[in-house]
Amino acid sequence: MFGRFQNKTRSIPRHQLENAGLRLSDLQPGQKARILEIGGSEMFRIRLMEMGLLIGDVVEMEKLAPLRDPMELIVKGYHLSLRRMDAEKIAIETVAADE
Amino acid sequence: MSRTQTIAVAGNPNCGKTTIFNSLTGTHQHVGNWPGVTVERKEGRYVYHEQTFKVIDLPGTYSLSTYSVEELVARDFIIKDVPDIIINVVDASNLDRNLFLTTQLIEIGRPMVIALNMMDMAQEKGLQIDTETLGVLLGAPVVPVVGRTGLGIDLLKEKIHRVQTQVSEKARHINIVYHRDIEAQIERISHVLEQGAITLPNARWVAVKLLEKDDHIWEYLVDFTEKESLKIVTAEAIDQIEKIFNDTSRSAISHARYGFVRGATQECVKTTLAEPVDYSRKIDKFLTHRLLGLPIFAFFLWVMFTVTFNVGAYPMDWIDSAVSWMINLLHTILPESMVASLIVDGMISGVGAIAVFLPNIFILFFIIALLEDSGYMARMAFIMDRVMHSLGLHGKAFIPLVMGFGCNVPAIMGTRILESRRDRILTTLINPFMSCSARLPVYILVAGAFFPTHAGTVIFAMYVTGVVAAILSGKLFSKTVLRGMSKPFVLELPPYQKPKFSSLLWHTWERGQVFIRKMGTVILVGSIIVWAFGYFPREVTLSQDYDGQTQKLKTQLTVRQHSIDEAFDASVEMQKQQYYSVLVPFESSKHFKELVGQRDSLLHETQINFQDAVASIGYARQADVMSQKWIGKLGKIIEPIVAPLGFTWREGVALITGFVAKEIVVSTYGVLFGVGADVDAENTGIIASLQQGGMTPLISIGFLVFVLLYTPCLATMAAIRRETGSWGWTTFSVVYSLLLAWLLAFGIYRIGSWLEWLT
Repeated sequence: MFGRFQNKTRSIPRHQLENAGLRLSDLQPGQKARILEIGGSEMFRIRLMEMGLLIGDVVEMEKLAPLRDPMELIVKGYHLSLRRMDAEKIAIETVAADE
Repeated sequence: MSRTQTIAVAGNPNCGKTTIFNSLTGTHQHVGNWPGVTVERKEGRYVYHEQTFKVIDLPGTYSLSTYSVEELVARDFIIKDVPDIIINVVDASNLDRNLFLTTQLIEIGRPMVIALNMMDMAQEKGLQIDTETLGVLLGAPVVPVVGRTGLGIDLLKEKIHRVQTQVSEKARHINIVYHRDIEAQIERISHVLEQGAITLPNARWVAVKLLEKDDHIWEYLVDFTEKESLKIVTAEAIDQIEKIFNDTSRSAISHARYGFVRGATQECVKTTLAEPVDYSRKIDKFLTHRLLGLPIFAFFLWVMFTVTFNVGAYPMDWIDSAVSWMINLLHTILPESMVASLIVDGMISGVGAIAVFLPNIFILFFIIALLEDSGYMARMAFIMDRVMHSLGLHGKAFIPLVMGFGCNVPAIMGTRILESRRDRILTTLINPFMSCSARLPVYILVAGAFFPTHAGTVIFAMYVTGVVAAILSGKLFSKTVLRGMSKPFVLELPPYQKPKFSSLLWHTWERGQVFIRKMGTVILVGSIIVWAFGYFPREVTLSQDYDGQTQKLKTQLTVRQHSIDEAFDASVEMQKQQYYSVLVPFESSKHFKELVGQRDSLLHETQINFQDAVASIGYARQADVMSQKWIGKLGKIIEPIVAPLGFTWREGVALITGFVAKEIVVSTYGVLFGVGADVDAENTGIIASLQQGGMTPLISIGFLVFVLLYTPCLATMAAIRRETGSWGWTTFSVVYSLLLAWLLAFGIYRIGSWLEWLT
């Protein structure tokens, strides 16, 4: 009965970030940034892609939750929430707020 | 009339898929589960131009990969059941992301109609969509609809009809064209696929899935003859792509899909407003505000709790009275027999005891529907995620846990709001430790008896112990039996919407009726078993002559009444002789009235004493009988198991009956101690009996902890069975909570005794 969950933990390839610069988790509310690279597990990367967060996209940091985690982003005009520990796996460059 | 056509409705979560489904089928629907998994399966029907269409509502998904049960279910249905037509519901106000799923549906290659939903919201956002061109680009007719108002549904039906009768020129199969380096590899794999016998309709789709390293695709290839060479070629192809793109092949393919989507939207969508109005963003300035967010959330939670349990208490009382009335009525009209007892004491009382939860459950489901449809549910998850994350859970799991303080049954059914099965199981397993309201009477009685001055503190400590047990068990489970499948938290915060009342009612009914149907069966069987344990063996030899004792009391009563009357007559005679007034006759005098008063109060007192004595004989008889029924014997059998905790067979029996519903522990105690089943904290008899029965304050603490933690009640167990869909998990939950309860009670008793604490 437990097997169903365990077979999913087989080695998932993890992507190490090559970019050393800013992370999505560094953004302050109101700031905008362009996604440069997405790290983490394949599952995480695919999940973000399915939800519309792609390399090259510009996202806006809306706010942090009242308990300071997770964070709310605006991507392609809709609102998406990510944990900060996951946002740390995303490399970004800031862009001007009016872009 | 031709055969029934099957339509599958696919789309993202929050795209209004269910509304479209409801508009199409009306009330002709049936809710069940997909086989083997607890994902709701909705099926409905409608007739258009004399053609019957069977409509299946697939689970809402962002993609057709196989990371979640929902995605797997949706894909399996399309591949294996081969629906005649797919309706892809697309949120027009969020086209780019929604069309990602569309690209995957296009690749599978079934005839498709696209329902472009939420056109009103798209217009508010200032989006102009050229549906004609979009339809040509996607190879499927695009119908603009507004699900909430039903606008465009007739046109949707017409388009489906045209696609089905193959008169629509727009329904044609197109290919999503990838980068030429990927195309080359698709070509290569397709070539291998064509060599072996393949039963799948679309080799290109299989090839793409193979390149995406989709393991489940092999399940469709069981009969494929060239498996070995296919595996080798696939591995090579993936390797090549990953070298060229310096990325995983899966990622490269997804990027290409988005490329296709972007191409389509750039051509068909025009933005007329520079800065579109985002109402949800404005609302969230308050609802998820840094400082206000939590208090507002707490307030909503409080309202939810109060409405569910306080407002629900009224209909609960009505059902309770109706059931009692029915039981009494049947007891009077049915002749006493085994069948009558089975029906009345077994089935009706048992099911009636659970039926009282119906109002709670329906109210809770209504509120959950309201939270979900309005969009606030996602915000609740957003606000609470930090807390729940520390337990390895999703933010939304907070709601069923809090509801557990009221009743675990609706709370466990509420775990359906969670998307991942692992989260649902974990939340379900720890839910019974949230001390439900049925356990409160036990606390009040026992804590009141042993800690009269600190009862409140003891009861509060029970609640805290429950929460701690839930947290620690949650951590334990997520590190052991439920390891691994925790998904990254990527949650959409959908736009707020005004919920439609009819759809709220519909959702409530959909979920509530499952409780009525399925739980009815489990609970009925359980009630009959428990009844049988209390009913058999039918003949018991009483250890004392209770009838004789009652008879003796009756004789004593008559004698006593007689002597009171005699004493009264004698006194009257004596007083009368000393009486000298001629104005007032003796029978109206003060003295005479005093004498009558004395006699009446004596008679009354005697009567009361008699009734009490008869009642206690009755209770003693009941206790005697119970100890000889199977249930009493079972209590004696398990006595060695509970003896290390300082419990006697009485606690054993009380705990066993508490399995039906935990508050029954109190009334069983009453019966066993011969003070009657109608027990509350004011009943001094039970308190004295508890103390005389050998229970010490220390043992009472152990007993309370046991009651808090042990086996969830029958209804909860049925809910666990229902929501996990597995007897394995149900057994696990029962065994785990029993073990935990025993170990803690044992620890308290042993350590306490050793420290000579509270003895």
